[in-house]
Amino acid sequence: SLPRKHTAAACGTARNAAMTSTLKPYVEAVRATIEASMCLENFASQNVERHNKPEVEVRSSEEVLLTPMHISRNAKERVLVEGSINSMRISIGIKQADEVEVILCHKFVRFLMQRAEHFVILRRKPVEGYDVSFLITNFHTEQMYKHKLVDFVIQFMEDIDKEISEMKLTLNARARICAEEFLKQFS
Amino acid sequence: MSKSTLSTAHRKVDVDLYDADRFVDDVLEEEAGDNASAVSSKETEVRGMLNKGDNKGALVRALKDAPLRAKDQSVKDKAHKVVMDVLMAFKATDIKGAVDALSQSDVDTLMKYIYRGMAQPDDGNSAQLLQWHQKVVAAGGVGSIIRVMTERHTV
Repeated sequence: SLPRKHTAAACGTARNAAMTSTLKPYVEAVRATIEASMCLENFASQNVERHNKPEVEVRSSEEVLLTPMHISRNAKERVLVEGSINSMRISIGIKQADEVEVILCHKFVRFLMQRAEHFVILRRKPVEGYDVSFLITNFHTEQMYKHKLVDFVIQFMEDIDKEISEMKLTLNARARICAEEFLKQFS
Repeated sequence: MSKSTLSTAHRKVDVDLYDADRFVDDVLEEEAGDNASAVSSKETEVRGMLNKGDNKGALVRALKDAPLRAKDQSVKDKAHKVVMDVLMAFKATDIKGAVDALSQSDVDTLMKYIYRGMAQPDDGNSAQLLQWHQKVVAAGGVGSIIRVMTERHTV
């Protein structure tokens, strides 16, 4: 059979080996930052009467916007948290170690973003320079528990990494099986 | 008809600029720590302390009189570089002791520098900064993060 370069063990550990020591502080930092930003209150639009717009998206006036905060684990994996008085935006840059993961990540995240209504807080387009974005408004925090929203975002971040690893493993396994079958005819 | 009715220049005027209620940020005076010479002297003092091995003292000196209101971005960049050098000089075990020795306002200033440092991950400081972030949140709480978000004068 073909040399098994891409076994489950090799892929899994290669992805996780160098980085597990910064994972916990990274996740904790993101959690603390999101908890701090999720202080939202209702704020009607100052420009158009009877309208209520998420100020972090509209960016109509400087006085309602807060300083954006970056949390980064390395140059590729980072989170940007932008806050305002009635809404906040969380943009996540997902780790993509090689070209296969770039494609997998892009397709997976696009699949999720096309179904953004079901996620409620997911944004249909990621912010420039990031892979996924969430938009949380004061209406969301009024209807849903804040600590649950934070847990959801953190869980989402962790699960995306797991899903992409899994997809890459199955992809490599399928490719190996196909190649084996194809080359059998020449042996 | 007079010529002026043909002109559409009035459509190009940005009416929002002339709105009386428009928010204009306060322009505050520069304080003592905000000019280039203060930052240069801070840099030399901090380097001296780092060379002697006095990391804690270097941290306190670097955070004192942060150039929050400097008009010149290069002054802020220089101060940021000094603080980053101090933060990287610490060993992971010493961080907690250093943070516990800081005053509340120094903790807030430190948190601002940490977030600014993480905004530039290409410098390779992220792992150490995450360690600092963990300890500073333990000392300053969520409030220190909120003060980073809400203060208009960034570091």
